[in-house]
Amino acid sequence: MDRSETETQLVSPAAVESETALNRLPNSPASEGELRRRLSELQDFIDRVAVPLQWVAEDGTILWANDAGLRLLGYLREEYVGHNIVEFHVDESVILDILRRLKNNEELRDYESRLRCKDGSIRDVAINSSVYREDGRFIHTRCVTQDVSAQKKASELQDRMTAIVDSSDDAILSKSLSGIIQSWNPGAERIFGYTAEEIIGKHISTLAAPERADEIPDILARISRGERVEHFETRRKTKSGRILAISLTVSPIRDSSGKIVGASKVARDITLQKEASDLKEHLAAIVESSDDAIISKDLNGIIQSWNRGAERLFGYSAEEVIGQHISMLAAPERVDEIPDILARISRGERVDHFETARKTKDGRILNVALTVSPIRDASGAVIGASKVARDITERRRQEQALNKANADLKRSNADLQHFAYSASHDLQEPLRMVCTYSELLKKKFGEKLGPLGEEYIGYAVEGAARMEQLLADLRAYTQVSMAGQEPTEDSDAGEMLNEALANLEVAIRESGAAISRTTLPSVRMYGFQLEQLFQNLISNAIRYRSNDPPRIEIAAQRRGAEWLFSIQDNGIGIRPEYKEQVFGIFQRLHSAAEFPGTGMGLAICQRIVERAGGRIWVESELGRGSTFFFTIPHRED
Amino acid sequence: MEDNRADAILVREALEEHGIEGELLVLEDGEKAMDFVQALDGGSGDECPNLVILDLNLPKKSGRDVLRAIRLSEKCGRVPVVILSSSDTQQDKSDAAQLGANQYLRKPLGLEEFIGLGSTFRALLHIRS
Repeated sequence: MDRSETETQLVSPAAVESETALNRLPNSPASEGELRRRLSELQDFIDRVAVPLQWVAEDGTILWANDAGLRLLGYLREEYVGHNIVEFHVDESVILDILRRLKNNEELRDYESRLRCKDGSIRDVAINSSVYREDGRFIHTRCVTQDVSAQKKASELQDRMTAIVDSSDDAILSKSLSGIIQSWNPGAERIFGYTAEEIIGKHISTLAAPERADEIPDILARISRGERVEHFETRRKTKSGRILAISLTVSPIRDSSGKIVGASKVARDITLQKEASDLKEHLAAIVESSDDAIISKDLNGIIQSWNRGAERLFGYSAEEVIGQHISMLAAPERVDEIPDILARISRGERVDHFETARKTKDGRILNVALTVSPIRDASGAVIGASKVARDITERRRQEQALNKANADLKRSNADLQHFAYSASHDLQEPLRMVCTYSELLKKKFGEKLGPLGEEYIGYAVEGAARMEQLLADLRAYTQVSMAGQEPTEDSDAGEMLNEALANLEVAIRESGAAISRTTLPSVRMYGFQLEQLFQNLISNAIRYRSNDPPRIEIAAQRRGAEWLFSIQDNGIGIRPEYKEQVFGIFQRLHSAAEFPGTGMGLAICQRIVERAGGRIWVESELGRGSTFFFTIPHRED
Repeated sequence: MEDNRADAILVREALEEHGIEGELLVLEDGEKAMDFVQALDGGSGDECPNLVILDLNLPKKSGRDVLRAIRLSEKCGRVPVVILSSSDTQQDKSDAAQLGANQYLRKPLGLEEFIGLGSTFRALLHIRS
């Protein structure tokens, strides 16, 4: 209540009386008895009216108070009237201010103060007062005092309630029965993002998440029936469009007659809780649905949890194992592993992919791979172990089968190589017999056989010689892979080329071949194979020459992760349709009469290049020479 | 000492073409060869061969054993021995060298080259051991 000036004036009874008396005067004077009676009537009224009235002098002395004034504070007349008003106000500054203002001719209205009652209690009052003057002289105040304790208490209570609502973290709002938002606390502002100005007057459906719009009429209907909605979990939408998980409690607001006039709603943002519990459920679902056995135990080895995968793997249901010791799963000879694993876990260590054996319910032994990790509580202390057990019996079996297949293959390969090598070796001897004795026959009995006989023997000799060459080439071919391991050093291609050219010295000289080269790199290959590679390719270039002397160019360039070698000649060329065929085993494009050769040279080259991790191919046109390309990977050391 | 008669004939051709005269004794297996070597020490010492041409791959007793026996012979241990073999593996060559052979020859594929071995035989014959 403001300390404002009053407008109503309080008039002394005497003045009232004399006015009315004067009004009556024109005709007959009122009798003295009538005046006396009227005076006492007015006096009675003033003395007994239920509003506390009093007169206070300029210096604060209480000149008179009515019965209500005395009752207000509980004093007897002699305890109050004649005393100074200052004694009864709790705050001296307040009463002095009142007196000062009154002296200044201010009229006070609803001026609040606190008065001390006889029993010591404090009463909150609102004072209405003005000064009665005669000829400008301060005679006394006209004070009306109103007890506002109850109102004050009510308003204090109201303030406290408001403070509680305002300070709550939860959103507290009220709405009419038609759903219009009527109040909105700071918690609601924070949670939903709308300020009170923005949202008050709008419909509650502003907050609804799209799929939940139907809830709102339903809630309002229940409220109108007087029902409460408690801890209802749902979703709502903020100003920025974000969807929140919310727990609602909505209650009916009743007016003083008990009629439902609206709803009050407390909404708690449970998004984080929900995310946490959703996550927990999600993780639990992951554990449950995992094919692997996921088991947890405490530090004493007692099984605490057992997922479906564990049921499937070991055959025990969760009820059968939870509470039992983990050693019930161990194969007899593995029981000692368990205390060891638990000890490592308590030290905070992990056990990773530990391969061991465990026993199922029906006594079967399984090969399993275990990964065991420590479980920590919030303070980081180790409180148990979580174990993932994977059945590797199948994997183990497959590994063993694969190893065996590999070993079989290796052995079979080795056998084949040996066979090929020794076969070609063993075929050599009989061939040598055919060769030398055909020649001996020709030498000793040539004349007797005559020219035709010599010719026939010639064919036999040629055949044998060809056979020898084929066998030599076949041996060379099998030898390429017999080297076994990968080379561990680089070979200088330039030096290997020199070796190859040295081996072909005669052929080069006789054909008048001109050989040029660029700088050649070192590559990760066996030197003798690189030499053989060059030798075969250059030998071909010389052999399959045209009428001009062979011109052979050897080059190498780096292309990304590999070296690209090229051997270009000006020989007879190869038809494009035979480009792949030339690399086949025993494949020839010419008869022995046209060009000698066994058809193994390029096959050997291909084997060498592919073993080194590269590719070989030819680009050529008939009559325009050929260029053979091969790649060797560049190895960074 | 050679089990293949065809190769023995070729050796004769080689010797003849190079003018080497004399008696060519052919022993066809390891046992006969060993008996011959052992018999040498019982004789007077004049009967040591001037040259032994030995194939490592003999039936019954091996060529290596025969070579060892030759080198151990009191009377004829210094006789020049040339290995004439159809193989030329590193192992055979080093064993031959280790056991004291003077030379290792691989039986060539062509007639001419085989005949040409005669010059090696002649050279070995003139070794004063």
